[in-house]
Amino acid sequence: MAKIRWPLVARRFHKWLALVVGVQVLAWSLTGFYMVAINISHIHGDHLVKTPAAQPFDLSQLVSPSQIVTAAPTASEISLTRRLNQAVWKAVSPDGPALFDAKTGEKLAPPNEAEIKRYAQALYTGDGDIISVRLLTKGLQETGGRKPPFWQVEFEGWNRPTLYLSAQTGELMAKRHFAWRGFDIAWMLHIMDYDERSDVNNLLLRTVTWLSFGMAVSGAWLLFWAFPRKRKKKKAVIKEQGV
Amino acid sequence: MSKFRLSPLMFRKIHKWVGLVLGLQFILWTLSGSMMALLDKDKVRTHGSHDMAAHGHVLPQGDYFDPAKLAEHGPVLGVNIVDLMGYPVYEVRTPRGVKLVDATDGTLVKVDPDTATYVAQMMLNAPVASVEPMARPNLETRDHSGPMWRVNFADEDNSTGYVSAQTGRFLELRNDYYRTWDFFWMLHNMDYANRASFNHPLIIFVAFGTLWLSITGFYLLFKSFNKNDFRWLRRRKKPVIRVIKEAA
Repeated sequence: MAKIRWPLVARRFHKWLALVVGVQVLAWSLTGFYMVAINISHIHGDHLVKTPAAQPFDLSQLVSPSQIVTAAPTASEISLTRRLNQAVWKAVSPDGPALFDAKTGEKLAPPNEAEIKRYAQALYTGDGDIISVRLLTKGLQETGGRKPPFWQVEFEGWNRPTLYLSAQTGELMAKRHFAWRGFDIAWMLHIMDYDERSDVNNLLLRTVTWLSFGMAVSGAWLLFWAFPRKRKKKKAVIKEQGV
Repeated sequence: MSKFRLSPLMFRKIHKWVGLVLGLQFILWTLSGSMMALLDKDKVRTHGSHDMAAHGHVLPQGDYFDPAKLAEHGPVLGVNIVDLMGYPVYEVRTPRGVKLVDATDGTLVKVDPDTATYVAQMMLNAPVASVEPMARPNLETRDHSGPMWRVNFADEDNSTGYVSAQTGRFLELRNDYYRTWDFFWMLHNMDYANRASFNHPLIIFVAFGTLWLSITGFYLLFKSFNKNDFRWLRRRKKPVIRVIKEAA
C-alpha cells in the first residue's frame, strides 16, 4: 500500500475548500475590516445631532399626571420631556405616542412640515441645508423595525445625512448617513442574509462558516511543511558526511 | 541577486508568513463565527429591556401625587411614570441618580428582593432559587448601570433575571445559550476584558493583517489549480489515466 502523503492531503483539503468558500472569506475579511476600523458611534451618526444638555424642569406649574392618564387611558408610560424648549408630558400607548403641553394639559397636534423642519434643523450639527422633507407611511430598509409613519429629512452633503422624526411627536427616531449605509451592506455580506439582513442562523451561513473553519484548520496544518526545516537538516547531514 | 517581483512565489510567502503569525486568530474567527451561526438567536436573545414597553401595564386612573413636590429630591432632569407591581411610580431623574417615588402618596419606594422576584417572574415563569444584590453591573449586564438585583431561576437553561435596584425595571434575562454565545462573541471581537467593543487597536491590526491573508489566498486560488484538477468534471465516462506529479 502506498504511504499517505500528508502534505498533499492537507494541501488538497485547503485548496478545494478555499475554492468553495474563497469569495465569501474575502468578503468576510473586507467587511470585517470595515466594521472594526470605523468607530461604531460614527456609524450610528452620533456626531450628526446635538445632545441636549441636562436641564432641570420647573415643576411648579405642571398639570397633574391624573389629567394625562384620563386623556390617554391606555397609556403604559408617561414621561416629562421637552419639545424644543417646551415642557411636555409624553404618553406612550399601544396606538403610539402622544404629547400634551405640561402646563395646560392640552393635547398637541402632530407637527406639520414646517415644524418638522424646525426640529430637524435644531438637532442637526452640520452646516448643510435641508434638501428634502417627506412624510413616509412605509418603513425603509434603513429605518428597520421603526413603526411608520415618520418624517424623512435629508440634508445637503456627499454623505447624504438623513434624520427620521416621529410623525406623532416630532421626536428623533433614527439618523443615517453614508457610513451607516455602508455598514448595513457590510453586515448583510458578513451574515449572508441578503433579504432581511438580520437572520444570523441561515443555512447558507452555517454551511459556509464550517467549511471555512475546515479551510483554516487545513491551512494551519499545511504550515508544518511550509517552512523548510528539513532541507537545512539534510544540508547539515550532507556537510557532516563531507559530500 | 534576484529582483523583488510580485510573483506567485511572493504571494505564497506573504500568505504563509501572515498565516503563521495571525492564523490562530483566523481559525478562531471561523470557529466563533460558526458557533454563533449555529446557536439559535431566539434562545440566545431572550426578552430584555427592549420589550418591556410593549409588555407595560396600563397606568391606573385617579389622583396622582403632585409633581411639584418632587422638587424635594433635588433638581429634576426628567420624570417617568410607570406601573410597578400594580401601582404607579415616579422615576425621578436627578443629578445624583434616580429616585423611585410612589405616584399616589409620594413616599420613597425601595426595590426589595420580593419586588425584584415579582418583576423577574413577569418575564420568565419559573421557580426562583435565589436573589442576590449587586452594587454594579457584571459582564452579563454591561449595557446597564447602577445597582441591581440578580434573580437566579431554577430552570433547565440556568436563567438569570436582572432587575434594577433603582427603578425596579427589568434589565436582562440571561441563560446558558447566551453565555455560550457571549464566549464566542468575545473570541470574535477580541475584547477579552469587556466583550463590548469591536473598535480597538488590536482587532483593527489583526483584521488588517488578515486582509492580506485573504487577498493573497484568493489570488493563489488562480495559481493553484490546473486543467488536470477539473478533469473529473469533463470526462466522467471514459477511464482516465492520471499522471500524478509530485511537487518538487
